[in-house]
Amino acid sequence: MPTAQTEIILEVKDLVAAFQTESGLLRAADGVSFNLKKNSTLGIVGESGCGKTVTALSVMRLLPKPTGQYLRGEILFKENDILKLSPDELHNIRGNNISMIFQEPMTALNPVNTIGKQMAETFILHSPGMSKSDILNESIELLKKVGIADPDKKINEYPHQLSGGMRQRVMIAMALSLKPAILIADEPTTALDVTIQAQILDLINELQKETGMSMIFITHNLGVIAQVCDDVIVMYAGKVVERAPVVKLFTEPSHPYTKGLFASIPKLETEHKSTLATIPGTVPAIAEYPTGCRFNNRCPIASERCFKENPGELLISEDHYASCFNLFPK
Amino acid sequence: MFNFNPLTIKQIRRFKTIKRGYISFIIFCMFILISIIAELLVSNRALVVKYNDTYYFPAYGDIIPGKVFGLDYEYETNYRDLAKIFSSAPESSNFVVLPPVPYNAFENDLKDDAFPPFAPSATDKHYLGTDKTGRDILARLIYGFRIAIFFSLILLFSNYLIGISIGCLMGFIGGKFDLLFQRIIEIWTNIPYLYAIIIISSIIIPSFFSLLIIMVIFNWINMTWYMRTATYKEKERDYVLAARALGAGNTRIIFKHIIPNTISIIVTFIPFSISGGITALTALDYLGFGLPAPSPSWGQLLSEASEFTTSAWWIGVSIISALILVLTMVTFIGEAIREAFDPKMHTTYE
Repeated sequence: MPTAQTEIILEVKDLVAAFQTESGLLRAADGVSFNLKKNSTLGIVGESGCGKTVTALSVMRLLPKPTGQYLRGEILFKENDILKLSPDELHNIRGNNISMIFQEPMTALNPVNTIGKQMAETFILHSPGMSKSDILNESIELLKKVGIADPDKKINEYPHQLSGGMRQRVMIAMALSLKPAILIADEPTTALDVTIQAQILDLINELQKETGMSMIFITHNLGVIAQVCDDVIVMYAGKVVERAPVVKLFTEPSHPYTKGLFASIPKLETEHKSTLATIPGTVPAIAEYPTGCRFNNRCPIASERCFKENPGELLISEDHYASCFNLFPK
Repeated sequence: MFNFNPLTIKQIRRFKTIKRGYISFIIFCMFILISIIAELLVSNRALVVKYNDTYYFPAYGDIIPGKVFGLDYEYETNYRDLAKIFSSAPESSNFVVLPPVPYNAFENDLKDDAFPPFAPSATDKHYLGTDKTGRDILARLIYGFRIAIFFSLILLFSNYLIGISIGCLMGFIGGKFDLLFQRIIEIWTNIPYLYAIIIISSIIIPSFFSLLIIMVIFNWINMTWYMRTATYKEKERDYVLAARALGAGNTRIIFKHIIPNTISIIVTFIPFSISGGITALTALDYLGFGLPAPSPSWGQLLSEASEFTTSAWWIGVSIISALILVLTMVTFIGEAIREAFDPKMHTTYE
């Protein structure tokens, strides 16, 4: 684990992001805190609807207005609170210092513009002095870097002419064009098939080593987490339930939810034709979160206290936090 | 904004294969061209006059008084008479080249021994006859078409400009702005537009542009609705979010990302708006609430046709065939465009 470079580049403190709906204010991310270290990757893992994407979008203040609101918390990037920036300052940070790769490479590119035109957009927005030919050369260079064959030909093609993996490569090239300090990857491999998935992960790892950027990597795939991340936070129902360096999380998962996730991974060693372990029940709808610990209705070790109080983040060992009362026998 | 991407090229190619629409499109473009250069084809001014070794080109520009050509009057030369005078003196080298139809849309070509309307006659060069005041019908058709088509095009442009701007903003901003404009539009559409125009044109005498403004005031709404919906749909798409994540502002997102993606909707509606504009102007003129009297108009010809249904059949036949021809062609073009832009034709699964 990195010890020399523990400089923290992004600090999220007690973030509460909510959506105003007809059934009231729904807190999609509720008191999320984490630190992103320089030149390292933070993984956010959790089921659908646990608030992973909302957390990631909040880092760039990209929640849809006016329904999305930030009720509390701070997102500190270079000593500025992103939640308090003016729109111009925000536009300057987006794409320039923090950029993002989206889940669906099929829809995240504008269908009526060529690849070259879309890649040029970042440069036009953030380095206005650049000449057209410089932008073109730089874009071709970037495409080459992300492993696209014939970049000078592909640059004049339209998104529909490229395959899913190629589009994701283009998205990565666009996100990296100004060498951002932080790259947010929101399930960048979910929509791709497994072989492409591996290629893209390798590419991302390589580019990170090369540029020294920090990364927030969102996924629901623990295998991917093991492959790319240095630190991991596990989210459940809008809350962070466990936070640890990746090795610790995989060797000693502590929170019953994390344990359940690991137990649900099918393994080769398990007995032939045995039942796949699952976590009983489903994630409660956002308006119906139980009081107390949000995992209490599915938790195998829930005690009476879990239905009354919400456990805060409790330190288990160095760098390892979990929110569960029952990890500490009284 | 209107760059030709492969899809557009595909759509244009597809449009060309729809014969009926493509041929209509070519003929329609020719009609517009003819109406633009109508002074060279249908006019009482000569194209070329050679008089005493000097050439004159009176078709465009200031009027040339009769004195210039040795006639005894100061007003504009009657080139048809001049042609007769010159041809009766074949020994001189003077000559006049008249347009194929040597009448303009305003002059009353009367005879001493009969009352108009006169039947079509090739010797008089009234190929479609004259109306009840002796004006050439072909001339009135062509000049009337010129007014109608440009009225329709300017109307379309203004309507779309306003409709697209407001509709896009409604969809993009949403919330209270959207609600406010929805209510304004609902109230506005409840004003009966024909009555409003009748009332207004009984107060002021409508001119080309005042009529246009009145029509725009009532007609911008359609496009607004469509654009509002389209924008609502497009702005939720991932590429808009991706553009935001790159740091793009609202203006850039609207003009570079949303509007180019709604182009197919706009293009599909254009032909129908054109035929709608022509029909609206014709209807208003027919009722007598359109452009004031002497200006050549199809509606006025149509009302005259209903006056002389049997005695002067050529009026009705000309105007009705012209209307049917133009409106059918526009509909064919519209149909072909709609088919060419139909996304289901080009669906590919990846």
